[in-house]
Amino acid sequence: MVLLAKIALGFGATVVLAGAYTFREGVLRVDVDETRGQGHHVHVWMPAAIVPMAMHFVPRDRMHDAGERAADFMPLVHAVAKELQKYPEAELVEVHDGLQSVRIRTHNGHLLIDAEEPGQKVHVSCPLATIDDVSRELATFAPAS
Amino acid sequence: MRSRTRHLLPVVAFLAASFLYAPLGVQAQTSATQSSTSAHGERWLHVRVISTNSKGETVRVNVPLELAEKVLPAIDHDRLHNGKVRIGCMDCDGVDVRTLFEAVRTTKDGEYVTVQSNDADISVTKKDGQLLVHVHDKNKPKHSQVEVKVPMKVVEALLSGSKDELDIVAGLHALASQGDVELVSVKDDDNTIRVWLDSKNVTTD
Repeated sequence: MVLLAKIALGFGATVVLAGAYTFREGVLRVDVDETRGQGHHVHVWMPAAIVPMAMHFVPRDRMHDAGERAADFMPLVHAVAKELQKYPEAELVEVHDGLQSVRIRTHNGHLLIDAEEPGQKVHVSCPLATIDDVSRELATFAPAS
Repeated sequence: MRSRTRHLLPVVAFLAASFLYAPLGVQAQTSATQSSTSAHGERWLHVRVISTNSKGETVRVNVPLELAEKVLPAIDHDRLHNGKVRIGCMDCDGVDVRTLFEAVRTTKDGEYVTVQSNDADISVTKKDGQLLVHVHDKNKPKHSQVEVKVPMKVVEALLSGSKDELDIVAGLHALASQGDVELVSVKDDDNTIRVWLDSKNVTTD
């Protein structure tokens, strides 16, 4: 009985630790809601810590291909993500044009993008540290200039 | 051994919880202390465009100058390289822009250009290290007003690069050292445009 309790405690503690570590990095969230036509709804929530980890399982040739394609603008993405981490709470861009609107801001170290037009709403939330990690990882596969 | 483990368990649990949640606590505190006035003397460039047409278009852009300074050198596109723009016409139609600027910089404050006509009033003034351009267009029903304020230090920094290029990063750096200032103000029938510099990370008006 005591042995079972110890196993359960160990298992529970492992799950709690793994969960806490995973979600401590933040959550990557993409929501797309269409109210026109067939009305597609896409909601993706995933722990941001998974993204850099998952990149290690992508085949090397695919990563080299992605690194080559992204080589031109990846230094810019890396610079923006790195610098934006210094501004965890900032309203960066807000555009309203009739019924359309776009809002880009940082909140709690996340980059938030909200776009809205009649019949469609898009919300993207991504930890800045994750963008930084991904851009750095991709840069290692970019061809040397 | 068993009793020792039993005594240690709460301590280990407490330490683990402290380790796990400490960064969240710090983050929460950081967020709570954020306000409209940014810390560490950060300088923000704000652009606001408000259109009074039927659609009511509004554009608000807030950019930390330090971010722009760090990010611009990462852009390598067309004429922009390493934070500098190659313009290739610094000697426009025989007018040497650098020499002209140097002449304006070293002369005393005063109103250099004044044009008054039925269509518009235009004036160019140098005052307190700033070049002020004022245009009052009388043709429109509501008489549009354009005011541009250019700190001379910023122009000097822009022209500090090699010939035929503007050093944008140096210009931004010089701009950051200016106090709160309204750089551009345009008011006409359809639009109100403002470009200004302050220490707030949000547009308050």
